[in-house]
Amino acid sequence: MAIRDDFEVAASQVRQAVQRFALALLVLAAFAVMLIGKADTVLVENARVVALDLANPALEAIARPVAAANRAIADLREFATLREENARLREENARLLAWQTAARRLENENDRLRELSRFHEGPEASFITSRIVGDSVSAYVRGALLNVGRRAGVASGQAVVTAEGLAGRVAELGENSARVLFVTDVNSRLPVQIERTRERAILAGDNSTLMRLTLAQTVQGVQRGDRIVTSGHGGSFPVGIPVGEVVQAGDGSSVKVRPFADFSRLEFVRVVDYGVTGLVGSGAPPATGAGRPSGR
Amino acid sequence: MRTDGVLARLDHWGRMLMPGVVLLFFVLLTLAPLRVPYISDILPLLPALAVFQFSLATPERLPGPLLLVMGVLLDLLLGGPGAPVGVSALGFVLIRAAVVNNRRYLVGVPFLFQWIGFCLLTMGYVIIVWAFTALFTWTSLDPGPALAQYLVMVVAYPLVGPLLARVRPRDPLNVPESSRGTAQPGETTS
Repeated sequence: MAIRDDFEVAASQVRQAVQRFALALLVLAAFAVMLIGKADTVLVENARVVALDLANPALEAIARPVAAANRAIADLREFATLREENARLREENARLLAWQTAARRLENENDRLRELSRFHEGPEASFITSRIVGDSVSAYVRGALLNVGRRAGVASGQAVVTAEGLAGRVAELGENSARVLFVTDVNSRLPVQIERTRERAILAGDNSTLMRLTLAQTVQGVQRGDRIVTSGHGGSFPVGIPVGEVVQAGDGSSVKVRPFADFSRLEFVRVVDYGVTGLVGSGAPPATGAGRPSGR
Repeated sequence: MRTDGVLARLDHWGRMLMPGVVLLFFVLLTLAPLRVPYISDILPLLPALAVFQFSLATPERLPGPLLLVMGVLLDLLLGGPGAPVGVSALGFVLIRAAVVNNRRYLVGVPFLFQWIGFCLLTMGYVIIVWAFTALFTWTSLDPGPALAQYLVMVVAYPLVGPLLARVRPRDPLNVPESSRGTAQPGETTS
């Protein structure tokens, strides 16, 4: 019996040693994964894309009931304010009709002036509508996952817009999935211009709800309430997508911009397919990109 | 009592796989677009809670390599350019090790002590993730959102934790190995 007890004691010691060793091994493995990720970013990108594509069906299955529940709650909330909402919308409709008349007149005038000056417009933008199947929001990331990918014609770097304005750009791309990086993410840098003065600036996110505006050169300055639109310098971004509104522009150095897009209730977004005419093969003018109006 | 029936085997496998499946579900749920102010905040920490709770109850069903895989998956899915992949895995593995090595302070004690243990370990987890993310992206990350997440999670633990702990008491063999007797299930002392 004594021998057997000794054996069991020894065995348990060995087991403990292995367990301790296992922890060290696991920690080492985690560090190794991190180092590999740091060294070989392409590999990590590919792994991300594969993981996204794999998780997409499950995410979609989760997203639908969640969206339905959210919509039901929103519906209930709207019932309460239906009357005031209706009155407000009627008023807004009247105002917008006036604007529509003005826009039609301006469009006609613009067309005629363009004909006169032989102005080449950039390619027409087309849209790919997508459902948001996942939030990529943690303490350090602001983004979302879409259920469209390369197969639907999405390309990396394309702009993602909501009805209100720019939401972000496509950062990663799978066959049937894509990751959007919101404009509020800390890694987002967006070339923009101030609509009123046409001055160029860079709009940077910092993971908060507001964005920081850095002016390249400021002559006329920036005021509260100025609208910020894309300048089209970022490659595949069209010119003039509304991004946000200046909410803080004191004498201090930091100018804060509030995005138009409401990130807390995104369900559908549109990916703007702009200028990749080589792939789409539409009847766009041959001067792709070169004849595009850039900035001013 | 027969222990090799089909149902018994199903039950056995179900119990074996349960923690891993719940953890996988939580990892996926992290990405669910819930949009509910406070609940969305705790989502990224739910996997850590599952790791803590199951390491308390049944660490052998949540082996280290599985945690490694789940952590890497979570990092891959949560994404963000330049964010380190594997930092969640490191956190999970460390939580499991800490729980397993301190079982006697955490198992069979008043709930308050479990809560305190959870607060301490999750704090460590949050700090590790924050530190490594800041180190990797080489930016001074604002710890505010992470701290807010942590606080909400600490408050939410008494609601979610016991729910996961429900898987525990129905398993007759779920006692620490050292205090487990030689009796087989169904055996009575004569």
